[in-house]
Amino acid sequence: MRTRLATGFLIAVLLAAPAACAASGRPLTVDSLGNKVMCVCGGCVAPLGQCPHMDCGTKAEMKAIIQKEIADGKDEATILQDLSLRYGVQVLTAPPAKGFNLAVWILPGVGLLAGLAVVLVIVRRWRRKPAIEVARTSVSDDPKTLAAVEAEIKSSGLG
Amino acid sequence: MVYIQAIANTIGVYMNQVGSLGLIAALAFAVFAVIAGVVGGRLRSLRATRSAERATLAFFAMITLSVVALEYMILTNDFHNAYVAEHSNRDLLTYYKVAALWSGQEGSLLFWTWLLSIYCALAVWLNRKKNRQLMPYVVAVLMGTGTFFSSLVFFIANPFQELTLAGSAGMQAYIAPDGKGLNPLLQYHSMVIHPPMLYLGYVGMVVPFAFCMAALITRQLGDNWIRTTRRWTMVPWMLLGCGILLGGNWAYAVLGWGGYWGWDPVENASLLPFLSATAFLHSVMVQEKRGMLKVWNVSLVILSFFLSIFGTFLTRSGIVSSVHAFAQSSIGPFFAVFIAIIVFFSVTLLFLRLDHLKSENKLDSVVSRESGFLFNNWILLALVFAVFWGTLFPVISKAVQNVTVTVGAPFFNKVAIPMGLLLLFLTGAGPLLAWRKTSFQSLKRNFTMPLILALVGGVGLVVGGVRDFYAWMTFFLCIFVMICILGEFWKGARTRMKTAHENFAQALYNLTMRNTRRYGGYIVHVAMVLLFVGFAGQAFKTNTKALMQQGDLLRINNYLLRCDSLINGDNPNYEYTRAMITVTKNGHAFASMHPEKRFYKASQQPTSYVAIHPALSEDLYVVLAGMDSDTGKAAIEVFVNPLVMWVWIGGVVFLLGTLLAMVPSRVEREMADIRQSQEMTVQAGNAY
Repeated sequence: MRTRLATGFLIAVLLAAPAACAASGRPLTVDSLGNKVMCVCGGCVAPLGQCPHMDCGTKAEMKAIIQKEIADGKDEATILQDLSLRYGVQVLTAPPAKGFNLAVWILPGVGLLAGLAVVLVIVRRWRRKPAIEVARTSVSDDPKTLAAVEAEIKSSGLG
Repeated sequence: MVYIQAIANTIGVYMNQVGSLGLIAALAFAVFAVIAGVVGGRLRSLRATRSAERATLAFFAMITLSVVALEYMILTNDFHNAYVAEHSNRDLLTYYKVAALWSGQEGSLLFWTWLLSIYCALAVWLNRKKNRQLMPYVVAVLMGTGTFFSSLVFFIANPFQELTLAGSAGMQAYIAPDGKGLNPLLQYHSMVIHPPMLYLGYVGMVVPFAFCMAALITRQLGDNWIRTTRRWTMVPWMLLGCGILLGGNWAYAVLGWGGYWGWDPVENASLLPFLSATAFLHSVMVQEKRGMLKVWNVSLVILSFFLSIFGTFLTRSGIVSSVHAFAQSSIGPFFAVFIAIIVFFSVTLLFLRLDHLKSENKLDSVVSRESGFLFNNWILLALVFAVFWGTLFPVISKAVQNVTVTVGAPFFNKVAIPMGLLLLFLTGAGPLLAWRKTSFQSLKRNFTMPLILALVGGVGLVVGGVRDFYAWMTFFLCIFVMICILGEFWKGARTRMKTAHENFAQALYNLTMRNTRRYGGYIVHVAMVLLFVGFAGQAFKTNTKALMQQGDLLRINNYLLRCDSLINGDNPNYEYTRAMITVTKNGHAFASMHPEKRFYKASQQPTSYVAIHPALSEDLYVVLAGMDSDTGKAAIEVFVNPLVMWVWIGGVVFLLGTLLAMVPSRVEREMADIRQSQEMTVQAGNAY
């Protein structure tokens, strides 16, 4: 009964957590978009928010565009779309999930599932395999075994 | 003094020749060692094997000679050498001059080769009385790699070129009055140690690979090679991990964007072999204990070496755009050929030896330590694949759709964070599973307390205002894992207190020292918890910025910053503007911070010197981003970065835990002595 209660509580907390966390939304700012677009100055190869160049004109121009679009009330998706139309899709720090670029988003998941399939196949094969116990020489973690080995070493004069 | 300078100049004239001579001699020794190693292995000739080993030591000596020659020229400002003129200057601080060795393509490849030669010499020296059947082929593989790198340094990226200038009679030798200096971004103390650590991590993967190949060639696929390989993997794994964290520390303190990890391709390249080696260090235990996962372990050793060479290729070939573009050139095709040879050779050999790599045992239960390791490997390898794929996708996209898309932090965070959290869970849950089979009662006993405390903590976090789901989940799992690990120490110590009648401190010490490998491993798991706590802090990062002059105030969270003055200064290496800022927190005096904008004279490049006030709860991070040309005010950007300190503490704990795990326990030392004496007896019997 206690186990069931504890499991139920665990599931309830884990389900409630995303909902509780989703309640908070951060306002859209130039800085919050700074990691979603690249600085296209050609010199830094860094996201806009990380461009290390002090007097980068391109950075200033891009930030001004974003600031204006936020002031105009546009949402994040629209601003990113406008920037990619203006500078090309490479301005986005992650490609949109469509066309060939869909592959970049899908394949990690496919890889994860394929890996799981491999693991399950291995487990199944291992379960079927007849046991062939082979004497192993690796060091045991069992304190009793360790004590026995030590005693044996001492008695043999090696200790 | 004049005499000393004259002698230095005279020696310096010959240093390019000395360096080149060292390289060509090293190349010759490497080729000889490969041939002698293969002959020694095929003919079972002790003489040929010893020759190969001595040639390996000579390879180390010759590469060392070349490194000394180049360092000598750098330290004596010998600007008739093109590399020295390009990467150093007279007013550079001495320890940055030493670091100039690895700041450019040619020098860093020479440095890479030198570290390789050190590993090779150590491998030969430490195995002079053991692993004798493997050693001929170990030397051949090590020196095969040495042949590639020394020929690359000698023929393609030779740092011993004279500086030339176009004149009326064509290209003429020229001595520059001063050098162009070290890249300003590299003039930071952790850059003196970060590249050597990282390179030691990359290069070191060659030793386990060599033992693995030798075991496959000789069909000696018992316990010996796996035990040797595990130790030789732990060293580069530890150094790679420390190198990655030091790189993060450098990025945090120098790049001025308030973060330490940006999923840059070069950063990803260093993470890949670390992850695959982590997978190996876990799965190797299954082979040692149960004789299972043999093909898997061989594959992981091959993968780790492949990824370390791939990382070097990615950093230097220029095939992907990176902020770490310090050492790019056209050496990519040579690396591509070398990688192709490695993959073909090792995969073919693995395929040919599949019959010798069959599992010895069956899986008794899905709920067991073996399965835990398998699932841990699944997540780690999936993460390797995701990071590899995301890093290479821009190149693939360029080839397929002729557009070089960017794959950056939003992609990697979306993919890697859930996998990282799964791994974090396994970090705590895995050690609670027993080998062979874990009963339900045991599961209940081991998991109940950690889960209850984690749930209480989780509820407390929500009540306390944590609203970022991933951050909440990370803290929840960190509590769970920490309780699991502490529980393991507590249970072990309590047993010793009862059976050996020791006090708690003695019991804890003896418990740890009797099984350094297990408890060192647990300490590494604690380090992972600390690192994840630090990572989760990023969710609560805040920043603000303003143009400031004397007397201006800037508020962020509980901090109030006042600009006292802006000072301009000059030293032989750079000019600077420094903002003198006084900070109060909640109305009380807190700190004086002095961020700088520097302009390096030799390289004519600006950079920033970030002022950081570190603390366990949060760092105050102040950047002087530049000077506003219209108002003459300083552009000051301030970040409050919670929990960053835990990342660096985690790094130290990681280092200590790994070192502890590498210390052989008393029982292990005695077993090793027995094994060695047995091997010597067999050798004497074979008269080999």
